[in-house]
Amino acid sequence: MLLLISLAAILYAWQWIHYEVSAGPAMIEIYHDKVLLAQYPFPQPGRNILFDAEGALGISKIFIDSKGVHFSSSPCTTQYCVLNGHHSESGDIIACVPNRILVTIKGSRINSGHYDAIVE
Amino acid sequence: MNRSISRPSLPALEHKAKWLSLLLLAISLHVFEAALPSLGPWFKPGLANVVTLLALIILGPSAAAMLAIWRVIVGSFLIGTLFTPTFIISLAGGVAAAAAMITAWRLLPGITLIGVSLIGALTHMTVQFITVESLFIHQQALYYLLPPLLLLSLLTGWINGGLAAYIVSRTEDSD
Repeated sequence: MLLLISLAAILYAWQWIHYEVSAGPAMIEIYHDKVLLAQYPFPQPGRNILFDAEGALGISKIFIDSKGVHFSSSPCTTQYCVLNGHHSESGDIIACVPNRILVTIKGSRINSGHYDAIVE
Repeated sequence: MNRSISRPSLPALEHKAKWLSLLLLAISLHVFEAALPSLGPWFKPGLANVVTLLALIILGPSAAAMLAIWRVIVGSFLIGTLFTPTFIISLAGGVAAAAAMITAWRLLPGITLIGVSLIGALTHMTVQFITVESLFIHQQALYYLLPPLLLLSLLTGWINGGLAAYIVSRTEDSD
């Protein structure tokens, strides 16, 4: 019973969060604590971006290309953020907790050039 | 001069020996989980929580709470993360999970070990996120990750609860 109630609540929350996050054009946002360091439309067709995010420990290098976004290097000791690999879906996040850097993908790719046009 | 030496009673010694054995097992599992390949960001199977659950059933609430605290302190010391953000997140999650399991065990009559373990697993994951958001990242976007990880916690909580129930039943059989 407890399992079923938990399952239903989690699935509902997941659906609701996905709906909220998918609104608007797809953007990659890079934060340090509460500060928005950079914001890029996604995907970036034919263009690669290497962003240096200054965090609590030093610079995290964040690489954005047409396939997605990933941490290419980080000053943290665990390197979980680098090992986390590429992310490209709306609602995906990559966090480097020791360096306090967060990368999120918000919005829907459909609105930002994933398709040339939507015809009904 | 006569000095009377107060010796602990045999049941008290047995209680301490059992607690230390469970603590060593929990620390071993903590270190083992740290050595496992990553199953995803911030996700671990939570095997050490099985030992907290066993301590709760076999030795009682205070022993379980102390075990959760000492397991994280000694385990983090051994894997080299003592006083790092990882340690703070582990400690918050472990202590909150122990508190939730103790509360559920005491206040919900008829709850099974699987139910207690599910509550512990969900609390552990949720409190880890709250700790990261409030102390380190300060972005509510972090919670986007919470629902899928809670689903995985349900699975591991269910497996760990079943494992604890099996161990307790075997222990009772052998007594």
